[in-house]
Amino acid sequence: MNLQSRKNALRYFFTKVVEPMGFKFTPDADLVEFVLEQEVALQSKHGSPFCPCQPLRNERARDMQMVCPCIAFHRRQFDLMKRCWCGLFVHQGVVDPALLPQSLPREVGLE
Amino acid sequence: MSELFIRALRADRVLPGGIVAVELDGRQIVVCNCAGSYYAIERRCGHMNAPLELGTLDGFYLTCPMHCVQFDVRNGEVLCDPVPADFGSEMPPPQLGKYLQNIERIMKPVRSESIRTFATRLDAGWVEVAL
Repeated sequence: MNLQSRKNALRYFFTKVVEPMGFKFTPDADLVEFVLEQEVALQSKHGSPFCPCQPLRNERARDMQMVCPCIAFHRRQFDLMKRCWCGLFVHQGVVDPALLPQSLPREVGLE
Repeated sequence: MSELFIRALRADRVLPGGIVAVELDGRQIVVCNCAGSYYAIERRCGHMNAPLELGTLDGFYLTCPMHCVQFDVRNGEVLCDPVPADFGSEMPPPQLGKYLQNIERIMKPVRSESIRTFATRLDAGWVEVAL
């Protein structure tokens, strides 16, 4: 299996999911390449491209909410942060992800 | 050497996003319509021979109906390994569980291989495939 081909396929499928939700791939091309590479490795190991920045707990219902793109399951947080946890996706209006806050406002609890 | 193109099916039999199986000269092939471009690949999955016309086509990516192995129809390249079965938190009955474990043991060393593609062309409303 060719890593780059798999990454291209993931990019295609993810774009179809995230764009209708108002997100896009981060403009940071290096980060996109790096995160997708981790997801390919996770998919080879577990069968699904889990989010590389979240631990798996062997609880299927919870773990499946960590399959990338996991925006639909954590929408409230991501809308506030204007990015997902690992930064692979940002709101469509974001030009420079480095300017986004790194943490949630205090009043927002983790889901 | 020029390729010999054989009429496979009428182009209007396979709509955009569609996959149709045909047999040409004893060879099983599926013809895919990717937004008006036609691609022909071997009918059998490079993992466990499942018939690919029962899978799904999204863009240039064809997903096998059996274990969700994906292929790029442009070059036949295999794009991922099979997705392991998951029964959630509910354990299957012991006898079935034992059977499934055995199947998993047999399947584990099975590699997913890329599959062959064939050149296509449109001629007078027919999709022709070069074998």
